[in-house]
Amino acid sequence: MSGLADLRLGFIPLTDCAPLVVAKALGFFAEEGLEVSLSREASWATIRDKVTVGALDGAHMLAPMALASTFGAADDAAAMIAPMALNLNGSAITVSTALAEALRQIDPEGMAQRPVTARPLARLLEQRRARGEPLLTFAVVFPYSMHAYEVRYWMAQAGIDPDRDIKLVVTPPPRMVEQLRSGGIDGFCVGAPWNAVALQEGLGEVLIKASEFWPGSPDKVFGVKAQWAATHPDELRAALRAIIRASAWADDPAHRQTLVELLTLPEHIGASAEAIAWALGDEIVFHDGAAGLPRREHALWFLSQMARWGQVEAEQDLGRVADLVYRPDLFEAAAISLGPVIEPTGAFSDAAKAPSMVLFDGLEFTPEAAGPYAAGFPITRLRA
Amino acid sequence: MRVLVIDPDPARAALVAEGLLGIDPLEVRQAALFDEREVAAFAPDVVVIAADSPDRDTLESLREVTHGNSRPVVMFVDRSEPGLAEQAVRAGVAAYIVDGLAPARVRPILDVAMSRFALTQQLRGDLAKAKADLESRKIVERAKGLLMKERGLDEDGAYRLLRKLAMDKGRPIGAVAADLMAFAGILRGDAS
Repeated sequence: MSGLADLRLGFIPLTDCAPLVVAKALGFFAEEGLEVSLSREASWATIRDKVTVGALDGAHMLAPMALASTFGAADDAAAMIAPMALNLNGSAITVSTALAEALRQIDPEGMAQRPVTARPLARLLEQRRARGEPLLTFAVVFPYSMHAYEVRYWMAQAGIDPDRDIKLVVTPPPRMVEQLRSGGIDGFCVGAPWNAVALQEGLGEVLIKASEFWPGSPDKVFGVKAQWAATHPDELRAALRAIIRASAWADDPAHRQTLVELLTLPEHIGASAEAIAWALGDEIVFHDGAAGLPRREHALWFLSQMARWGQVEAEQDLGRVADLVYRPDLFEAAAISLGPVIEPTGAFSDAAKAPSMVLFDGLEFTPEAAGPYAAGFPITRLRA
Repeated sequence: MRVLVIDPDPARAALVAEGLLGIDPLEVRQAALFDEREVAAFAPDVVVIAADSPDRDTLESLREVTHGNSRPVVMFVDRSEPGLAEQAVRAGVAAYIVDGLAPARVRPILDVAMSRFALTQQLRGDLAKAKADLESRKIVERAKGLLMKERGLDEDGAYRLLRKLAMDKGRPIGAVAADLMAFAGILRGDAS
């Protein structure tokens, strides 16, 4: 008996749930004296609700979801914190093979470039508008997600208004591929492995990966309720230690085969081994380069996009919200306490080179001026 | 009454239909998955869905984006988690039912869900209108200030001029004020 309370942690079937799955399966939680049960959840809304009411102690979360919990919450009881990031990169924008073909016809040079910008799509949309054809539909996984901001940014960069020129809908990750097959949607932005599944089944083509959109871009976090973190500091630190070890383990190429087998299990993701392996290696990063550190500048970028698209009022103090939710101090304390168990260069901000703040269009994000950055885009839903 | 039951198992839809027996006209349709086109075509009065369905995110986002087009959602769950019902309701679910469903309870639950939904929609509408009114008042104040400065009018004179413009054009005074401010911006070179 460790004296620590048992934990219930939730996850969604996506490759970036790996740190939680590995920490459980390889006994890292147990070595920290934690009895952990993992619960596979069907929707992000359910994850949020269960963490809010304490049916889950913590979960695999969309980073912007944790940030959004601090806005508009009726009381502080719903506020969440992100003491650790679970991965960098991993999502991608995929379109149906039919749409890819149409894009190649209208703008072959644009489609031959890497990364592909939305210029071919902008030209096609113009043609479709002139011919009176219906709007194309794109799906993301949740309104508050890297995926939503990635699609919106990428399209707006080419002059497409994502609220007017296309139809943007929400579809849960495991449903994306069948929606593409049935023609319900023409494209999507989702995390691994679902882009690779669409590729393998010959249904879609990947236009841009998160690592091309913004190298080292943030994505999921480990989220807990602020209140729970305050009353369970020992459990939280033990959990973070186990997840940090699991992230380091998952990045090690020597463990790739075992990791893929583990994620392939139906109780985890249940996709093919090839699809899961596709985004591992040169795409998703769990630990290296301080990937686990919840960086303030990442929180500020998300907040700038929430302001840009009118999800929050622009005059909010974005820095204050970032500091309330993102807690690098908790991550660093846990990483330090692990001592020589893991390679320290993987975990600390000062040991790794500063993350890139330049997106695919060459525009640099300046975290200290997140508000003006949010206001500086020509296509915007900024609310004064 | 039109009810859409999203559940891979047809048993729940049968149960809902049994509980609503006697309502005329009644159409209960079952779908394994949520499909927006289907929902738009069917236009249900209420949607019944299992809590462990991934379609919850889609339903919730529809409520966020298309206020006018959303439907009351009733959610079922087989196992109780303390507090989850309250949270789901706070997040927009109109009613949340734990531990299965007896046909006798179907009708009152759906009735409560629909009336609660209507009330929430009305509150939302009121709030949006209050915000818009405030916004319009703010812009009118700014347009008045501009006219006072540029035309040397007093406050009353500026307001009367705005009102006259609004009446001449047959548009709300807030819209006229917004146009005025936009043109002033262009003349200053804001949009160059």
